[in-house]
Amino acid sequence: MQYSVVLFHSITGALQAEKRLKKKGIATKLIPVPRQLSSDCGVCLRFERKDEVEVRRALEEERMDIQGIRAI
Amino acid sequence: MSMIIDARGLACPQPVVLTKKALDRADDLTVIVDNAAAMQNVSRMAESQGFGVSVDEKMDGIYLRLTRPVDESLGGKVPLLFEPTVLLVAASTLGRGDDELGSTLMRTFIHTLSESDIKPHKIIFMNSGVKLATRGSEVIDDLRALEKERVEILACGTCLAHFGLKDAVEAGRISNMYEITLALMKATKVISI
Repeated sequence: MQYSVVLFHSITGALQAEKRLKKKGIATKLIPVPRQLSSDCGVCLRFERKDEVEVRRALEEERMDIQGIRAI
Repeated sequence: MSMIIDARGLACPQPVVLTKKALDRADDLTVIVDNAAAMQNVSRMAESQGFGVSVDEKMDGIYLRLTRPVDESLGGKVPLLFEPTVLLVAASTLGRGDDELGSTLMRTFIHTLSESDIKPHKIIFMNSGVKLATRGSEVIDDLRALEKERVEILACGTCLAHFGLKDAVEAGRISNMYEITLALMKATKVISI
């Protein structure tokens, strides 16, 4: 399976996004930021790459402040 | 030294008790039992001592061949002193100070462990740690992946009962203080978080 991750500035931001994406029925998994990436906080949300459009839309709708989305 | 123990017709826990005594002396032990529960209990105990187990179901009983592994680096003769690494998880959060952070750290720790090359032999959940192995936990998939890799997962029964979660266990199995104490005392390394 191919995955991407959403990077955040804070753990609180990651947890908020997780809750909101869950409400919208988008499956994510909270994982440590992969070694090859770096972020302000150490955790990120992993999702299936095929859901990327939905994830971006949901995060925009919720006006979540993210650091970026990266393929892993 | 090789030995044979005929444990057919004996009630639980006699087959396990006899086997345990014999394992202290034998390198190659055959135990004959007559039911599946005895087979599982004897196998589990032998594996916990590092013995290899092979099962042969014959007409007159189930034959369990228990063999002590040898350390190849020492000429293949010396018995390997095998005692497992045990991870004791005594809370649903990792560390003290902030529970939201602690919960996040625990989740990412267990996920990372499930993908790590080096895994503990057992994970024991106690106190609020048992919540991690019950319905609604975010790490159930990770714990199931660990179980597939033969990591034994035990949840303290007293703790589950306290939180009203005895019927909600979704990974591992319910254990008791006897088994947990023994596992901790036998372990070469206990990682307590």
